[in-house]
Amino acid sequence: MSESGRIAAVAGRTYPPVTFEIDAERAAEFARSIGADPAAGVPPTFAAVYSLGVTAPQLFGDADAAVDFSRLLHAEQEFRWTRHPQPGETVISQGHVASDISRRGMRFVTFETETTDRAGEPVCQSKALFVIRSPQGPPPTQGEASELVG
Amino acid sequence: MSERSVTLTREQIAAYAKASGDHNPIHLDDDFARKVGLPGVIAHGMLQMGLMATVAAEAAGGGTRLRRLSCRFAGMVVPGDTVTFTAEPAGPGKLELRAVNQRGEPVLTKSTAEFSR
Repeated sequence: MSESGRIAAVAGRTYPPVTFEIDAERAAEFARSIGADPAAGVPPTFAAVYSLGVTAPQLFGDADAAVDFSRLLHAEQEFRWTRHPQPGETVISQGHVASDISRRGMRFVTFETETTDRAGEPVCQSKALFVIRSPQGPPPTQGEASELVG
Repeated sequence: MSERSVTLTREQIAAYAKASGDHNPIHLDDDFARKVGLPGVIAHGMLQMGLMATVAAEAAGGGTRLRRLSCRFAGMVVPGDTVTFTAEPAGPGKLELRAVNQRGEPVLTKSTAEFSR
């Protein structure tokens, strides 16, 4: 956020690809934390780590994007899978800002991530909607998502 | 219909933070959470979605069959809350998903899944 209080719009911005090895033990630990069977393979929502999780920090760390993390609300999430990765597999994820809209003191950022395998074949697509409240208001709570997104 | 009820604990939230790498203190530190206007620590939205995914996977005949999963994070979940996740068939390869707390309030809305058969 600049001193004038202007919010940067970073729609269209694409971040450098991130390579991530899906560690079998970490995927199993993730499975146990949601009560899934670790023997059933990489849990689908481990995409929160290998796709969204490795790319969202690039947005949050982007000074131009000026995301105030303490006022950030994860409002919606979608994953699409062409296939699910194997334990031990290396995947490559690239994030981009699909839209960045401000209205009524609220900022709505749609952040999309494309995850492929090493051959460049599609694995997963993540689409996250983040809502960032203005510094003038109180910080967001998760329960407000419905009202904010409308 | 597939259904699963889970009473969220601090331990499970901490285990999810560790496994997912999401160490935002609003999920781990009551004092910090209160400072930013929350009642105390809250569960990760992505933990709720992960729990929902296990029910969707069961209804789909296995997690590897899931092709799409979506939701809106509509309500807070705090330690001690019991959330009931349900998946109902909604046409070929489609599921309608619900997550409600012990007071009947939805915590995930607009939640659907698609799977390959």
